[in-house]
Amino acid sequence: MPFAQALWESLARDSRLVTPVILLWLAGTLMLWPLGSLLLKRMPKDRWAFFTVAILLLSGWFVINTPNAIGFADMFRVDGVTKGFQILCIAAGILTVALGRQQLGALKEHSVEYYSLIIFSISGMLLLVGATDLVSIYFAVELMALCVYILVGYLRTQERAVEASIKYFLLGAFSSGILLFGISLIFAATGGTTTNLERLGQAIALAPGNQDLLVFSGVLMVLIGFAFKVAAVPFHMWSPDAYEGAPTPVTAFMSMAPKAAALAAFIRIFGTGFNGVAENWIAPLSFIAAASMILGNIAAFKQQSIKRMLAYSSIGHVGYMLLGVLAMDSQAGAQAVWFYMMTYLFMQAGAFAIVIYLQGANEGERIEDFKGLAKRRPLLAFAMMVFMLSLAGIPPLLGFFSKFYLFRLAIIEGYITLTVIALLTSAAAAYYYLNVVAQMYFKEPGEAAPPPVCICTKAIVALCSAVLLVGTAFGPWIMDWVGKIVWG
Amino acid sequence: MPMIPWFNNLPLWVTAVPLLGALALLFVPKAKRRVFELGALAIALLDFILCVPLWFQYDRSTAAVQWVTQMDWIPSIGVKFSIGMDGISLVLFLLTTFIGAIAVWCSFTAITERFKEFYIWLLVMQFTMLGVFICQDMFLFYLFWEIMLVPMYFLIAIWGGPQKLYAAIKLFLYTLAGGVLMLVGILAIYFLQYKTTGTYDLSIASFHNMAGAISQQTQAFQVLLCLSFFLGFAIKVPMFPFHTWLPDAHVQAPTAGSVILAGILLKMGTYGFVRFLLPIFPDILPTLMPWFLTLTIIGVVYGALVAMIQKDMKKLVAYSSVSHLGLCMLGLFALNPNGIMGGMFQMINHGISTSGLFLIVGIVYERRHVRMIADFGGLSKNMPIYATVFMIMTMSSIGLPGLNGFIGEFAILQGAFQAKPWWAVVATSGIILGAAYMLWLYQRVMFGKLDDINANMKDLNAREIAYFAPLVLACFWIGLRPAPIMKVLEKPIENLVMQINPDFYKGQDLEQIKADAAQLGIGAMEAPEREDDVEVPIQYPYQQDEDEIGEAPQTQEESLDDDGEAGSGGR
Repeated sequence: MPFAQALWESLARDSRLVTPVILLWLAGTLMLWPLGSLLLKRMPKDRWAFFTVAILLLSGWFVINTPNAIGFADMFRVDGVTKGFQILCIAAGILTVALGRQQLGALKEHSVEYYSLIIFSISGMLLLVGATDLVSIYFAVELMALCVYILVGYLRTQERAVEASIKYFLLGAFSSGILLFGISLIFAATGGTTTNLERLGQAIALAPGNQDLLVFSGVLMVLIGFAFKVAAVPFHMWSPDAYEGAPTPVTAFMSMAPKAAALAAFIRIFGTGFNGVAENWIAPLSFIAAASMILGNIAAFKQQSIKRMLAYSSIGHVGYMLLGVLAMDSQAGAQAVWFYMMTYLFMQAGAFAIVIYLQGANEGERIEDFKGLAKRRPLLAFAMMVFMLSLAGIPPLLGFFSKFYLFRLAIIEGYITLTVIALLTSAAAAYYYLNVVAQMYFKEPGEAAPPPVCICTKAIVALCSAVLLVGTAFGPWIMDWVGKIVWG
Repeated sequence: MPMIPWFNNLPLWVTAVPLLGALALLFVPKAKRRVFELGALAIALLDFILCVPLWFQYDRSTAAVQWVTQMDWIPSIGVKFSIGMDGISLVLFLLTTFIGAIAVWCSFTAITERFKEFYIWLLVMQFTMLGVFICQDMFLFYLFWEIMLVPMYFLIAIWGGPQKLYAAIKLFLYTLAGGVLMLVGILAIYFLQYKTTGTYDLSIASFHNMAGAISQQTQAFQVLLCLSFFLGFAIKVPMFPFHTWLPDAHVQAPTAGSVILAGILLKMGTYGFVRFLLPIFPDILPTLMPWFLTLTIIGVVYGALVAMIQKDMKKLVAYSSVSHLGLCMLGLFALNPNGIMGGMFQMINHGISTSGLFLIVGIVYERRHVRMIADFGGLSKNMPIYATVFMIMTMSSIGLPGLNGFIGEFAILQGAFQAKPWWAVVATSGIILGAAYMLWLYQRVMFGKLDDINANMKDLNAREIAYFAPLVLACFWIGLRPAPIMKVLEKPIENLVMQINPDFYKGQDLEQIKADAAQLGIGAMEAPEREDDVEVPIQYPYQQDEDEIGEAPQTQEESLDDDGEAGSGGR
């Protein structure tokens, strides 16, 4: 049978592009059955953390060694952008596992499923950042998101976790519907010829002229779908609740990995696929970006819970990163967003490590819990100050440099008003970041003795703060990596 | 000795010493209070001593940037590690190390808790301030400009008064907002540069060279660009109406914080005007100048009036800063050598005399923990040394001839009269009001009835006399012999005026001005020796008017020849 043979041959040829994904699928499935439930049933559950980290590291190694090519009937592409963002997602996964080990142990909530869900979700992200077809993008988005819905409600005995999970799931499913509808409208606009991003521009251009409305509504719906996935205003409503309700390690995960993956896809869709119809999405996307910066940063002012505050601040940061999506030069945009996302990853991981440490086995996460930390744990407090100042974009921390690099691109691309808004809101954001610093340094500590710091927290905090502190001095090397990773 | 380019660069070492010192102090156990005090003082003094050779090494015959060290840092976006100083930077650099040492010294008894952090932050603060004056690259400049906020935030928020958190966050946000707007301006020029020259370069010199290209842009663009820089610097100065953070910050800050804030931090803003705003936007300045001058004059008069009604001594001194820096800005905006020279002197003088006044307030606050003027009276009876120092600083602040304040105010008014006579007339009222509020303050605190509590206050001790002595010496030295400092500033200012107001040296009345100045004993600038065929590349709108007069070119040539002769004859 020639068809079957051709299929087999192309599968054999293209599967090397997705070796990391296949590895993750295999590992995730085997963890659920037979390893976790049969063969290694008696193994202490927290050992699975080490296993997961090992698998993720291995997949990272595969990612680096994957050749640059395009495959699966042009639905998946491996290039510098793909690899760069894949590495970010894997790094986020590793950090999450390391962050969560102690807390989950204290809550006695370790299970194999938790780790395999993380693995599956990351496999979806790896597919998403390389997907070059609206259909494969949709599949990958769903694979990624479904796992995260479950992870949000992982602490199923807590009401707020379940509520957050259901809210996230319902709104997520709704937005997926909008995304899918948008995709089908685009497909119709091309005359039913293609959904491939590379050919989309040409197909839309060749389509009959009376289809402008079709294209416009299609692009807008895809935009809304993705704005929802990255939690940009006005499609952000789910994010503070989901952030607050989810177990804190999952919150950290949500603020890093799915954002990185969705932003990569965002850039790919709008930078390649919809580049020709830019007039349809520049204005709405500019509005979304500006609204995210303003609302995200303003709403963070009054938050009592550090998780909600970080949720709103991450809305603001997404607003900044959308400036990179707006860049007509999608390679430069991807570079700037990658660099920003990498820095953001370190800042978030470090900040959440300290939040998790303070939480211990409790659920408290008020900003007040930070009071007097400088007296109790001077090094941790100093590191938290570094994360907060870096999030606020104060030089010479790396957070400033990545902002500088991103805003430089925005100015070059001519978005001066948006850049002014971005910079002013980032200055305003210093207020609530400094509020945490003020709690740590200027307030007296409470009565209770501080819990000991576990080695994982120490390692993550030390790594992240060191990177942020000296990163700018190594600017040339960072720029080299950014160039290499993203240009491929 | 290794041949690394930065190894022999003395200013770089001077900049690094406070940071290295702070890092060393980090490893001293928290309880050893004496080690921190003496260690920080030793570091600050060492820094000042290291600085002294710079004064003698500096080549006064050129406006060029000296002690240059330049290395590529991030070539792909045009960021260089580039440092160096000209005369304008040098005097402020010296002032910083000078005031820095005094700020450390005055805190020995004032700071009673968390001294480890205090001295480390103080030294880090000094490092960042020195960095601002030494860097020759916009990226580095912005870096130092913003880092500076963090140590200041901590200095105020930990060791400040009752409203410290509010004051600290206000200072931080206000200045940060100005800073980020300036960043937009920097990036816009940076991009414009790429469009016109095809290279990315963030060095300050290349930004100065952009003046011509900026003048080709639309007026609205130029105005916005100029305003983005203006806001950044005006908030730091602070000019009216951006001054509201200053009284809060000063009143809440510990004495050392106030000294640093008044002595050096505010000079960043005025330095920014001299270094960036004036030379980068010479073309749009005439359009915006009426607005800038209006704000300046309001600042001078309003600051003085508000200072007069203050009940809190520290707040009074803080508002006097608004008024004095308004005068400084008036001098800079005169755009002629006398005005700018006066502005520079005003920066130094304000640094010395206002730091002195904050120290004076700090002395009584340390002894009684109150600062209200009404709580004091008759102090001259039991604190004679204190009264003397207070008198000298007061006189220096109101510009008594023979003390430093006079030199600056005189040159500013001279420059302002040359450029904008009526503005100068209004500004003079600020000086008169200044004399009024300072003398009234002195009278209320020093004379009158001495009550029992005040009678128990001790006069200055040896340490306090020791740190006031250099300030008093500096007051007299600058007041009686300003010429050495003028010599250092002369060429850079001449160069600056060439950039921003080239017509000044073409004017017919130059001889007149010089004669006037010689009569008064204040050195007006000599015209630079220029080849006749050297043309100013930028076309000025008002040059056309001159050409229309017809005889202007001839007189210009004549005056230039005369200048050349006079200049060479003078040497």
